[in-house]
Amino acid sequence: MLEPVPSEASLGPLLTVRNLSKSYPVTRSGLLRKKVVGTIDAVRDVSFSVDAGETLSIVGESGCGKTTTARSILNLVDPTSGEIQYQGRDVVRTFATGARGDVLALRRQMQYVFQDPYLSLNPRWSIRQILREPLRIHQRGESSSWDDQIEQLLARVGLPGSYADRYPHEFSGGQRQRIGIARALAVDPRLLICDEPVSSLDVSVRAQVLNLLADLQDQLSLSYLYISHDLGSVRFLSRRVAVMYLGTIVEIGDVDAIFDRPRHHYTAALLSAIPVADPRRSAMAKSVRGEAPSVTERPRGCPFHTRCPAARPICRDEVPALMQDDPDHKVACHNPR
Amino acid sequence: MSDSRSVNAAVPFAETAVIARHKPKGIWRQGCERFLHSRTGMLGLALVALIVAVAILGPFIAPFDPQDQSAMLDPGAKAPPSWIHPLGTDRMAYDVASRVIYGAPTALIVGLGAMSIAAFLGIVVGGIAGYRGGLADEIIMRATDFFLVIPVFVVILAVVRLLSGMVVNTPLESIPYLNLGTIIVLIGIFGWAPIARMTRAEFLRLKNQEFIEAARCIGATTGDILFRHILPNALPSLIVMVALGIGGAILSEAMIGFLGFGDPKAVSWGQLLFFNYESLKVAPWASLAPGAAIFVTVLGFNLLADGLSDAFNPRSGK
Amino acid sequence: MHQANLSPPIPDSLPTTPSPLTSPGLRGAPPSADERAQANDVIPVSDATETLVHVDNLRIHFPSRRSPTRIVEGISYSVARGETLGIVGESGSGKTLSSLAILRLLPRPAQIAGGRIVFEGEDLAGKSDEDMRRLRGKRIAMVFQNPGFSLHPLMTIGAQLSEILAVHENLARKDAHARIEELLQLVGISDPGTRIRQYPHELSGGMKQRVCIARALLCNPSLVLADEPTTSLDVTIQAQILELFEELKARFRMSMIFVTHDMGVVARIADRIAVMYAGQICETADAETIFSNPQHPYTRALLGSTPRVDQRSTRASGFRLPTIGGSGPTILHQGDGCRFAARCPEAAPECTRLAPLPLTVRPGHSVQCLKRGSIGGANHA
Repeated sequence: MLEPVPSEASLGPLLTVRNLSKSYPVTRSGLLRKKVVGTIDAVRDVSFSVDAGETLSIVGESGCGKTTTARSILNLVDPTSGEIQYQGRDVVRTFATGARGDVLALRRQMQYVFQDPYLSLNPRWSIRQILREPLRIHQRGESSSWDDQIEQLLARVGLPGSYADRYPHEFSGGQRQRIGIARALAVDPRLLICDEPVSSLDVSVRAQVLNLLADLQDQLSLSYLYISHDLGSVRFLSRRVAVMYLGTIVEIGDVDAIFDRPRHHYTAALLSAIPVADPRRSAMAKSVRGEAPSVTERPRGCPFHTRCPAARPICRDEVPALMQDDPDHKVACHNPR
Repeated sequence: MSDSRSVNAAVPFAETAVIARHKPKGIWRQGCERFLHSRTGMLGLALVALIVAVAILGPFIAPFDPQDQSAMLDPGAKAPPSWIHPLGTDRMAYDVASRVIYGAPTALIVGLGAMSIAAFLGIVVGGIAGYRGGLADEIIMRATDFFLVIPVFVVILAVVRLLSGMVVNTPLESIPYLNLGTIIVLIGIFGWAPIARMTRAEFLRLKNQEFIEAARCIGATTGDILFRHILPNALPSLIVMVALGIGGAILSEAMIGFLGFGDPKAVSWGQLLFFNYESLKVAPWASLAPGAAIFVTVLGFNLLADGLSDAFNPRSGK
Repeated sequence: MHQANLSPPIPDSLPTTPSPLTSPGLRGAPPSADERAQANDVIPVSDATETLVHVDNLRIHFPSRRSPTRIVEGISYSVARGETLGIVGESGSGKTLSSLAILRLLPRPAQIAGGRIVFEGEDLAGKSDEDMRRLRGKRIAMVFQNPGFSLHPLMTIGAQLSEILAVHENLARKDAHARIEELLQLVGISDPGTRIRQYPHELSGGMKQRVCIARALLCNPSLVLADEPTTSLDVTIQAQILELFEELKARFRMSMIFVTHDMGVVARIADRIAVMYAGQICETADAETIFSNPQHPYTRALLGSTPRVDQRSTRASGFRLPTIGGSGPTILHQGDGCRFAARCPEAAPECTRLAPLPLTVRPGHSVQCLKRGSIGGANHA
């Protein structure tokens, strides 16, 4: 387990999210204006925290709301309700009404690594221009020092400085992802939100980028909020994990505890559904029945009860709250394993 | 697997081998190179270059002054091509070749002037519509629809006629080339709609792409995003439209001139056609020459646009 | 087979109407002497059953004025009746192209440049387009990666599937509908009568893929090609579809070529596995052997570099995932020699000059690697 840097332990968690919700209105085009006929709750009442120097992963399948949650933190999406605090600062309010100086200060603390290496770099800019942008906006040092800083950033992610004058289309997916990471590091952040950074990469390249993320975390004492559906990489990279289903967190806690002894039935189903690279073990994998209900037809009560093998009558009526099971293990289930 | 660990140290720079032999090439350089290979594009460029050269060198290569009617006596009006008058003389004993040559700068000024206005209006309006969306988008799009369907040509003729009527016997009459200027402005004002459409489409497409979100994440201002990120990515498509538009503007001016609404003080190909249409049977060269000039110029810009389009939007499976 | 599961029930006995699914074609005639002879090449083949497909030194290239771009470099493999061959590789490995080549559906400008594709005794590489058209969908069927794109968006499920039956089997409408419903039931789609009238966009991803599988089975094909059929699906749905494949395999002794990049998926579904890299086959063996005794450096690296969900993380002690250096295969590498050499931790100078030929390490297990004893040779005959 990674020890947080001693001087920061007293400050408490770096990022705190409380009761975050994001709903999208479903509209139908009327004669003159659009009518709201319903809502889609992409994220519902999500709470978690990230400590300094640690990695919290959020896992789930498509439509579970993990990406929306991540994007809400950095104001790429406006949260509908809830609180986000970074070291005591109100993030939502700062982005909404804060002065530009405050907004920039917050952006210096938290940065984002995008999923798609092909679309997250401006195709018409050279790498040098891409990396210079954050330096310019945040005025990191004299402009004469920027070229040196760019070279250092590239070296940190394992790319030679001569790449600075090339263009994104000349690079492979893995290299572009490194450039994206370099851009995020340019402002010297404390927290990196990584949104499925290796999902679009080839298998043999994923390990390189995962190793890089691990190295950077050790070297720079970074915290990560790591979003993924690939549980193997989650286990490698993080200390804690949150499992999301249909917009809510169903289980959260220490990654080893949860992956070895999942208490929530969805977590168990997720883990057993993963094909293991071992022909003897694979044969025992069993699948969970049915499909995830569409987000517009959210079931009442526990979101998983329609597919859960251990569902009880109460599961249909009451949404289970996250209950503390162990010091670092919370489950939202009426009938945990 | 311990030997794999030692490979990790060599990992970062092993990739250099693949990239090493390439020189840095921006999208613009790439586009230019593709353009050089495009036959239509190069042909278009050659034609346009020819017209530009004629326009610039006009006074030096034209055998006569465009207002020179000295040929009235010898060899007379409507004289066929000869050594002295390479394209013959027209109905009023002007030297056709000289008039055609002097028509080139007029055509180019009309084309470039009108398209500058149209492009500026179109990009600004389309950009706002595409980026802001919502109510602004709706309003702007309805305005664009309006401008796309009104009979531009008829309106321009009407305005030109009205204006010349209003200007008679006023001090404004002495402004040189007022009529031509009006025509240029009008073509421009009515030409912004297609460009606005295209700009809006490009801005819509680009504003949600991840690199724009990344820019926002880094802290870029809206201005940064619009002018340094989105616009340069939208430019290639817009440039193609502008090139096409120049050809269209020249053609419009030619038609206006042909109908007799042109600026009498300016030398324009459309007007040449207007003056010499009646004597088409007797002195065809006086009409064919300006007609051919219009054809070559508009063709040149169209081919240029084709070439640019191929250069910046290469089709797969070339 | 496996313990009680919760996937939708599959009928244990088929309806008594003459079901095409139990037609004798599936069991096949005993192998002829020629086929046995072919099967005993250096190319390893499981013994006993006949060879259904034998790809021999297949080469695919993009022709060009200067020199053709060699995409697939002389690969060879076999699939026996009732067996599932898993082809594993990353993007750029040519795995999809090689299965498309069997159907002669290579996208332009790719072309077959050499080699044979022997299916049920005939060489498909030389067949006419008309003959291939009669083959596709009837004797060889394919399930594609993205069910959303491989189903016609403007036709109902029923209409699309009956079109296939109309072309290949000339069935009357009533019989066609009966067979379609039976198949939809088989692949686990509840209420097939309603589904037949629905459009693809009304179905979820998992449902659509089940429809595609049903579509592949319509005319009782001898061989099913599956190109990453679960890659675009969520993990839990992927598990359901893999389970479905297993049931179908067991019930109908389906012969399959299953292409994927996921070692876990292939561990579950394949009897034998061929590992491809940049258009070359690195190693071929049965599933157990590939995982327990991988010989080729690429296979080993691939197995090692995927983080396992069931292994405790030891990151604190500085553990890092073993990686393969460099970037993925690119078409730039056009020389002779092993294409993995540039990234191989064990590469020797001769690896870039000589292409390794398959070497039988053990019966049923062949490797193409100079460092494992393969003899080098030219890439082209």
